[in-house]
Amino acid sequence: MIYAVFAPLVVTLLIPLISKWKEKIHTGWFLLPIPFLIFLYFIQFAGENFTPKSEVYPWIPSLDISIDFYLDGLSLLFVLLISGIGTLVVLYSIYYLHKSEQLKQFYIYLFLFMFSMLGVVLSDNVFVLYTFWEFTSLSSFLLIGFWHHREGSRYGALKSMLITVFGGLSLLAGFIMLTVISGTTSIQSMIEQTDVIVDHPYFPLLFVFLVLGAFTKSAQFPFHIWLPDAMEAPTPVSAYLHSATMVKAGIFLIARFSPLLGQEPIFFAVISVVGLITLFWASFMAVRQTDLKGILAFSTVSQLGMIMAMLGFGTEAAIFAAVFHILNHATFKGSLFMIAGIVDHETGTRDIRKLGGLMTFMPMSATLAVFGVFSMAGAPLPFLNGFYSKEEFLGATVELNQYTGGFLGFLQEAIPYIAVIGSIFTFVYSMYFFFGTFRGPFKEKELDKKPHEAPVGMLISPTILVLGVILIGLFPNAVNEPFLAHSAEAVFGGDIHAHLKFWHGFETPFIMSLIIVGIGTILAVTRKKWAGVYNIFPRKGFNEVYNFVVDSIENGSKKITETYMTGSLRHYVAFILTAIFLICFSIMIISNGFAFDFSQTADITIPEILVGLVMAIAAIATIFTTSRLGAIITVGVVGYGLSILFVLYRAPDLALTQLIVETVSVALFLLCFKHLPELRKLPSHPGVKSTNSLIAICFGGLMTLIGISAHSTKLFSPISDYFLEQSVPLGGGHNVVNVILVDMRGLDTLFEITVLGIAALAIYGLIKLRHNKGAK
Amino acid sequence: MEILMSILAGILFATAIYNLLQKQLLRIIIGTVLLSHGAHLFILTMGQLKTGKPPIIVEGVEQYTDPLPQALILTSIVISFGVTSLLLVLSYRASKLNESDNMEELRGSEHE
Amino acid sequence: MSNLAVLPIIIPLLAGIVAVFFAKKTMAVRIFAQVLTLLNLAVSIGIAFYVIQYGTVTLETGGWAAPYGIILVADPLAIFLVLTTNIIATASVFYAPNSLTHKQEQFYFYTFYFLLISGVSGAFLTGDLFNLFVFFEVLLMASYGLIVLGGEKIQLRESLKYVLLNLFSSMLFVTAIAFLYSVTGTVNMAQLAERIQEVEQTGILTTIGILLFFVFATKGAIFPLYFWMPKSYIVPNSVVSALFGALLTKVGIYSIVRTFTLIFIHNPEVTHELFLWLAALTMIFGVIGALSTNNVKLIIVYNIIPAVGFMLMGIGLFNHDGLAGSVYYLLQDIIIKACLFLMVGALIYVTGTSNLKKMKGLIHHFPLLGWMFFIGGLVLAGIPPFSGFIGKLLLLQGAIQEGRYVIVIIGLLTSLLILLSIMRIFTRGFWGERTELDTGNIQPKRVRGLIIPAFGLLSVCVVLGIGAEWFIPHIETITNQLLDPEIYIDSVLKE
Repeated sequence: MIYAVFAPLVVTLLIPLISKWKEKIHTGWFLLPIPFLIFLYFIQFAGENFTPKSEVYPWIPSLDISIDFYLDGLSLLFVLLISGIGTLVVLYSIYYLHKSEQLKQFYIYLFLFMFSMLGVVLSDNVFVLYTFWEFTSLSSFLLIGFWHHREGSRYGALKSMLITVFGGLSLLAGFIMLTVISGTTSIQSMIEQTDVIVDHPYFPLLFVFLVLGAFTKSAQFPFHIWLPDAMEAPTPVSAYLHSATMVKAGIFLIARFSPLLGQEPIFFAVISVVGLITLFWASFMAVRQTDLKGILAFSTVSQLGMIMAMLGFGTEAAIFAAVFHILNHATFKGSLFMIAGIVDHETGTRDIRKLGGLMTFMPMSATLAVFGVFSMAGAPLPFLNGFYSKEEFLGATVELNQYTGGFLGFLQEAIPYIAVIGSIFTFVYSMYFFFGTFRGPFKEKELDKKPHEAPVGMLISPTILVLGVILIGLFPNAVNEPFLAHSAEAVFGGDIHAHLKFWHGFETPFIMSLIIVGIGTILAVTRKKWAGVYNIFPRKGFNEVYNFVVDSIENGSKKITETYMTGSLRHYVAFILTAIFLICFSIMIISNGFAFDFSQTADITIPEILVGLVMAIAAIATIFTTSRLGAIITVGVVGYGLSILFVLYRAPDLALTQLIVETVSVALFLLCFKHLPELRKLPSHPGVKSTNSLIAICFGGLMTLIGISAHSTKLFSPISDYFLEQSVPLGGGHNVVNVILVDMRGLDTLFEITVLGIAALAIYGLIKLRHNKGAK
Repeated sequence: MEILMSILAGILFATAIYNLLQKQLLRIIIGTVLLSHGAHLFILTMGQLKTGKPPIIVEGVEQYTDPLPQALILTSIVISFGVTSLLLVLSYRASKLNESDNMEELRGSEHE
Repeated sequence: MSNLAVLPIIIPLLAGIVAVFFAKKTMAVRIFAQVLTLLNLAVSIGIAFYVIQYGTVTLETGGWAAPYGIILVADPLAIFLVLTTNIIATASVFYAPNSLTHKQEQFYFYTFYFLLISGVSGAFLTGDLFNLFVFFEVLLMASYGLIVLGGEKIQLRESLKYVLLNLFSSMLFVTAIAFLYSVTGTVNMAQLAERIQEVEQTGILTTIGILLFFVFATKGAIFPLYFWMPKSYIVPNSVVSALFGALLTKVGIYSIVRTFTLIFIHNPEVTHELFLWLAALTMIFGVIGALSTNNVKLIIVYNIIPAVGFMLMGIGLFNHDGLAGSVYYLLQDIIIKACLFLMVGALIYVTGTSNLKKMKGLIHHFPLLGWMFFIGGLVLAGIPPFSGFIGKLLLLQGAIQEGRYVIVIIGLLTSLLILLSIMRIFTRGFWGERTELDTGNIQPKRVRGLIIPAFGLLSVCVVLGIGAEWFIPHIETITNQLLDPEIYIDSVLKE
């Protein structure tokens, strides 16, 4: 199995080599066999006696991350979709993308996607699943941005990435929570520990994390906004990623975790409600689109909503219908996307307002579209697969009876009505799509080129998909037991045996279907009259919210950053000192760090007091002095005062050093100060002055406080006794300070000299190296 | 005495910070010098003052002051000296090139 | 074999000194620097293997036993950091000739560079708090030398702020050491740990610890102390920015890791709680900064800050997974940050501007660089299977184990915004219509010389992610040693 999954990745590496011959042979031809072989490999598993299989390869065992493929019915359904539709899409793309396009990049992204999508549906390890999950988002980002010279492509790509990666990160949080709670990284083992997980106090948070991941990926309301913009991608990509496979990853995730989450009321409430809102809202929005792919995008969103809702119901019938619809949707929506691509390719536009009457020019495409469209609309015809799953869905809405009373009970009652309304709009936009494009008056003037039927090669893929629509419609039970039943069981967690047939008798679901078709037809025929109603809601809506958020992130961050990153040293020092003061002082209070012990202090003598007093006065005087000379003198007084203190405190070496350093410094000061402007009173706000003094006094005070407290809590005898004892015998010197410097702490001294050396070099460089003098 | 010296060091810190918060480069440099004086005074004080003779081993003397802080201060003095000299030259060059010694005029903008 | 520990400090020190003497012979000094850097890399790989096999190596300098003399401690954490430092040093030294002017090279770039490496390695290896201060000064002084190299107007202006703020924090550092000495009577880290444990970090000790934390936080660019960083990191040459961005903040973080897993660990409900909050704020404000600008270099500089936030988060969590995450993040962030700066340097070289608004469609000319940015963004945002993910995964696991959901959410949103900030460079600068570049000033050979070192570093990040299994056992060892200070104390004091 691992070879099948990694094959597309290996191919990705080879594509740069084979694309060299793209002038002669379209790169796609070389690649076509790959997904087909994968399809053939996986289809052999299908059958009535299917049992789940797993393969484990260690990757990062220390973190319990292993490539752990688990192929059950649900994964099987998805891998077949990925590889099957993948084959058709590669075939279609050979005709769709001209050799002059950047085929290399296109196929690299596409196969990267195929690889990651296979990984998503097969991984049992949550972190590996997450890895693949993010890679589907990224390859989708790259594919949407394929024509990145277009502003729209870049916008759509970034939008899809932000929203899906946002969901991905939320999913990651959910996965980590699951791992921490259950102690395992395997989904199947987590399902075995359902009780522990759902009883965890933070289960609702976990649920939200997981669901956000699924909703963003599967474009559920209100995260659906990225999908219409993703239509900037080349049409084969839209057909593949944004209708058949990637957008179903969210559905897959919810289905995968259904056995774990499914029994919780919150699951029913959130998943079905969001699904139904999505179904209703997107089908309503689809009606007013003017771009063919726009209609299909909203249609995809609404169908995804429907599947999501069914998973939310969680009943046997609903789950079966959901799984069935995943398959059906892939077939009819895939074909419709390809037809939209053909129309675009042959007429040069996808604007439905410019199209019409194409039936005469493109009879084959039109015929294919008929099947696709009616299947999507759920028209009650025995050769359309869409009808079966739609009717199962309607049936499932009527049968809900888990809850009585309360919000959930009410919800249960309301669901069939919402389902019918949503389906009516589905019917309307389906008709609109077909009749707007292929029937009605032909608008020759609107088109740049004369439309004609697509080349045969381009029609192969949609034809195969439409054949799928018809065959599943005619023989639904052929895919039922060997295939769908296993998938549904994997989601439901128990046996499911549904028997599919066209005619169930004159029961509620059928009546609902008739209502949908009836009202739908009326609305479709009179669509223009209702245009006002469809435009009640603002065109942009949630897009505005997204744009607003992104813009305000950018502008807001600029504003915020500019308010504190002012470039002013004073602000920086003030912020830093205030923060240190406040936090240190609070910590001192919290940890009760104050200590005052005056017993161990030295005597107070007059000379010291005098020196100290002079130093203090000189230090304060530096603030008020207004001449350079005054400044040097006052600073010098402090420095020389310090050397006197060193003498008084029995530190002769220090005193000497300090004297020398002070003298040299003063000389340096004199040199430099001569070149710097005279000290002067710069005008400043009185508030500034008092803040400065406050900060200075607070911080100075804090240091004194800590100093006194530190002095008063001498808990250990210093290690210096050792130095005093060993200086002569081991160090061979009587001056202990010198012995420490050159021997015991010689490393300090070595690097202290190094510091001086570097300073000298840096100063030399500063003076000598005057780069572009005066210029910026 | 240590208490008083702590207070003196605190005053040195406070005046240093006040100078650091000024606009004119010269005052800021003065601030850094005061700051290092304050820090060194703290080290000395923290090693206890006048607990004995200077730490030069002489026969018959039992009590010496703590030599370690003195060694640390020495290292620190030399390093501060190096930094201060660099700072002086740097400020001189910076104010010459930017034609201002007022830090508020040396804020800069994003793209230069 | 204990002399090994001093080699990563002494080799660059000597190399730096020797380089002074023939600094004007550009070719010779280049080759000398490259050879010596490779030698140093080889030596640190050797020591790393030795430490993995035989455990911590300690060296009592001058033969003075700890705690009296200065002791160098090559424990797994320190030696891995030294090794990582040398990896990016190697990339930088090969990048430098293509990025610097001859003048800059001649004015002792290589000396400053070697002393910076020496100082950084020393800071990682030393087991003595005051000696740490000295090494801080060495690396700072070298960084002062590097930041003013070139002597341009804005460069000097921003260097001034950089020097002043660092000078302030250095003085605070010495003062804090003085306070600590007063209470404990020692400056040896192992003995500090032992003594503070004995008195259970009473009274003033927590406050002194926090004071030290602020000193390191200033270097480490933690909110609200990073103001000095963004502007000052964009003014020097890109290779200098790479060294700064990769190393200087990490020395700060390393020091916090060391002091708050070894010494001040007895009051975590105050100290480590504080770190968590600061970590959250650091992430938020850092990433906001990264989104606030169109200056590509500044975007990368701001991205240092949220990464620091992530590392601090692990220290704040103070549990096994959190610390392991911090350590992994610390190591990989050194590499990816250096890599991003090197890439930005190449970008600025080929476009002649750092303004994103003036760039467009570069992927047509420099596809490799474009894809490197793309992957670099993924590494930075912690998208699997790259190195950023492993660290983030461990950190988030640690946070969830402690029930810290707020910081988990902040961390994840930060990751998203980090990704956005880098993808802005990708979508705006690299995507778009093909435009003709002013190719007159671009030398293809130089461009190659700029891209290859960055490519090498990026490959390391990919290996660190996909091949995480090779490294995690060592991270485990490091984490376990961090969680058990006795190991460190025993290896130093050997009683």
